[in-house]
Amino acid sequence: MVFLTPLFLIGLLAAAIPIAIHLIRREKPPKVMFSTIRFLKKTSKKLVLFQHLQQILLLLLRSLVIVLLVLAFARPLIDRSIARLLDVDPQSAVVLIDLSMSMQYGETFERAKTEALDIIGSMTSGDEVALIGFSDGAQLVSDFNSDLDSVRSTINEISAAGFGRTRYLPNLRLADQMLEESRFENRAVYLISDFQAADIEAFDETWKLAPGVAFTGIDVGLEESTNLAITDVRSPERLLENASEQEILVRVRSTGTVYLQEGDVSLIVNGEVIDRKSVDLGDRSEEVVTFSTAFETEGSYYGEIRIGGDAFEADNSYYFTVDVLPKISVLTINGEASENWYDDEGHWFGLAVGGAERSPFELVNLTPGELNEAVLRQSDVLVLLNVGNLTDDQTEIIVDYVIEGGALLVAPGDRVDPVSFNNQFESVAPALLEAQGLPNGNDYLVIADYDRRHPILRPIESDWSARFQGHWRLSPTQDSEVLMQFDNTEPALVERQVGDGSVILFASAMDLEWNNLPLQSLFLPFVHETLRHLVQPELKQKAYSVGDSFSVNLDENAGSVSARAPNGDEIIFTNTDFITQVSEPGFVTVEAGGAEMRFAINTLPEESNFARMPVENLFDSIINPDTNPIKSREVQNEQLAEELEQPQRLWWWILSLVMALVLVEALIANRTYR
Amino acid sequence: MSESLNFLDPSVLAGLDNLELRARVVVEGFLSGLHKSPNRGFSVEFNDYRHYQRGDDMRHVDWKLYARSDKFYIKQYEDETNVRCVILLDTSASMAYSSGGASKLDYGVTLASALSYFVMRQRDAVGLITFDDEIRDYIPAKCRQPHLMHILRTLSKLKSGKKTNAVKPLTDLAASLNKKSFVILISDMLDDEERVIRTLQNLRGMGNEVITFQIMDDAELKFPFNEASEFIDMEEGESYITSPASIRKAYLENLNEFLSYCRKKCQSSGVDYCLLNTAMPLDEALSSYMAKRSKSF
Repeated sequence: MVFLTPLFLIGLLAAAIPIAIHLIRREKPPKVMFSTIRFLKKTSKKLVLFQHLQQILLLLLRSLVIVLLVLAFARPLIDRSIARLLDVDPQSAVVLIDLSMSMQYGETFERAKTEALDIIGSMTSGDEVALIGFSDGAQLVSDFNSDLDSVRSTINEISAAGFGRTRYLPNLRLADQMLEESRFENRAVYLISDFQAADIEAFDETWKLAPGVAFTGIDVGLEESTNLAITDVRSPERLLENASEQEILVRVRSTGTVYLQEGDVSLIVNGEVIDRKSVDLGDRSEEVVTFSTAFETEGSYYGEIRIGGDAFEADNSYYFTVDVLPKISVLTINGEASENWYDDEGHWFGLAVGGAERSPFELVNLTPGELNEAVLRQSDVLVLLNVGNLTDDQTEIIVDYVIEGGALLVAPGDRVDPVSFNNQFESVAPALLEAQGLPNGNDYLVIADYDRRHPILRPIESDWSARFQGHWRLSPTQDSEVLMQFDNTEPALVERQVGDGSVILFASAMDLEWNNLPLQSLFLPFVHETLRHLVQPELKQKAYSVGDSFSVNLDENAGSVSARAPNGDEIIFTNTDFITQVSEPGFVTVEAGGAEMRFAINTLPEESNFARMPVENLFDSIINPDTNPIKSREVQNEQLAEELEQPQRLWWWILSLVMALVLVEALIANRTYR
Repeated sequence: MSESLNFLDPSVLAGLDNLELRARVVVEGFLSGLHKSPNRGFSVEFNDYRHYQRGDDMRHVDWKLYARSDKFYIKQYEDETNVRCVILLDTSASMAYSSGGASKLDYGVTLASALSYFVMRQRDAVGLITFDDEIRDYIPAKCRQPHLMHILRTLSKLKSGKKTNAVKPLTDLAASLNKKSFVILISDMLDDEERVIRTLQNLRGMGNEVITFQIMDDAELKFPFNEASEFIDMEEGESYITSPASIRKAYLENLNEFLSYCRKKCQSSGVDYCLLNTAMPLDEALSSYMAKRSKSF
């Protein structure tokens, strides 16, 4: 049996009133002094028993009258009827539970589970329920299931919210698609979330739920929250040894709904607290904290910025890595050395490589005759500046050096004999020298095009305005790559991978004899990036956000690769590219080819923002105008119940029974009491 | 008659503090209604003769009559015809019960006073015994006027006592009576009625005239209670919680059985029995006495 106005059932407590009066009065009946009670005591025991029965009967009658009156006001309805009707109109429902990081605040996640269980509790047998636990994507999907106990178990098995970002739209679309294939016409979506405002902008006003799909948003977020979040950290990713002190900038912001003014920030490097500073936002919404520290020795450093003093622990750490590399040893063979700097072929190149106070390079200058294998093997990169008179032995040493992993940069000038060069370096040169290209008069060439995605040229955004009055016409080999072209379409910079090494051929000299490139501002970065590219592998990204997919294998030749997630669990790779997706912040530790490296995984700053949006806004955005009337299951049930209750009119029969019982009570009471 | 009855209304009488006055009002009021009563002729001067019996004192032989009739007649003197009346008044705790008007004890005191006055007015001797579980007051029967005042003073000071034990005073009285007497028991008989009536029978068997006035309150006779109450026995102190309406019928049956037993047993043994309701006038009691007195003496 169900009741249309069940609040009246509170009145059932009044049924205890006759019993209470009976018990109270039973303790204190009026005393009557009487001459003798011998004639009272002689009354039949049956009569006394009957008298007690009468009293109990009266008691029951009075309580029953109250109970029936309460039941009549509660408007009862025979359960079978509504059950039958509900069976006729069963529901297909999708329950979406927000598992994003913000749901970790306080007891928000527990409330969400409770609400989900309540929704399942409101279902009737025959309904089917699907479950989606989501953040940026659907983390948990349970297809439609009529076994409500099974759905409850699934909900109870969700242990905690994750670290992902809230994205409503794709998950609502998924729910909508699932409902398209549901069995019943009565369809509903329940969204349980803290309704962060951060994702509301992603809503496309043109997308709506399918017509007829009811939507219910259940807000489990807190009206008041306090949080300090790290919204940005600027730290170096790669340094060379003996670099100066580095500044690490940390941007701290109060992102709760209640302003939090004070906190503290710590810098931790390799597990050791380096510095700790207090933060006082004062009347600002954010503050930048600056740490200074040195990363002097070669190696990898694992840093953490940790914030304290707020109520939300999940976003209090920011992780980063710093790789410190050794200096690059550069061996320069100067084919046109001179006492006078303006005649020296290597003057400008030397300034670019070793001129800075803390140069990342160690430069060794030799003449072609001084080149030998011992010197060459101690160098990371060999640079041939207008060298045209190398012996065949020297050439052979260079070729072997390159094939075994060495790096070679060639900038030929007027002293180079193309035939000799081509013969000596054919096996490693990216291109063959055809002939010198010397424009007539004041004519000159400029760089017209270059590969902007190449590691050398990508960081150099400046306009290439250098003028080339002289150059070598190049004939690139098949396995080489042209990185730069003159405006006459001839190659200007060509690269070739040979064996384990690589060679770059510049089509002009690196002094002022053939061009004015050394006078350009981009000359120094061009030289630095070219040398670094030849020696060091490309800087690979080692910082990601929660939910990003990335490959942990930075060295394709590393061989075996194993990795552990931030929580220490081993990551099982299902692909040969060692691509993984990490769902929690921290360091992913990778062992590849005997070397260990770490990837920093950080939370998304959007999830730290607890600004909220009204559920109604979301409702208005996604509900289909054709869904009419938009009724919750409860409203539908109430209306159905009222329609059923009208013909039954149980209350009328109950009131009639009450009248009869009142008459019976009056008759019995008249025999028993005044 | 109706006016006199008003004076005999117990509730009116209860307003009179002076017990003598109360007794006089009762008796005079009663007598004024008996203008032509056939009982008016009895007198202390009444004479009679009886045949001589062996053992009679020869000094009492009427020699003059013997001279005329040649038979021995014994002359009965005036003092032999006087009544010795002993009133036994129950003052037990149950007699103090009242449902609103005069209590049973008040009613009994008024009745005893009126009877004493009435007896003394007839030049008879009257005595008084009050008792509960034992004899509280004992005034021997005399017929002098100051004696009446003694009785009335005693009655005016009466207070209800403890349990009822009418057997003991009746037994003691039987042992002390050496002449035929008029024994009046005023009690509610809420005692061991079987033993009481047996004792009364013994008294009657000794040649005494015995009249029993059983006084009951109107509430005792009708049991008009309705509300569930705790009834407390005034003598025993016992309590009994009940709903009176439901047991009224059974109560009245039990009570009538008791009263019927008392009445039948008394009547069967020659003991006059009169049930008095404290709500009824006292003339019934006086009439009862007078009828008995005239018949017996």
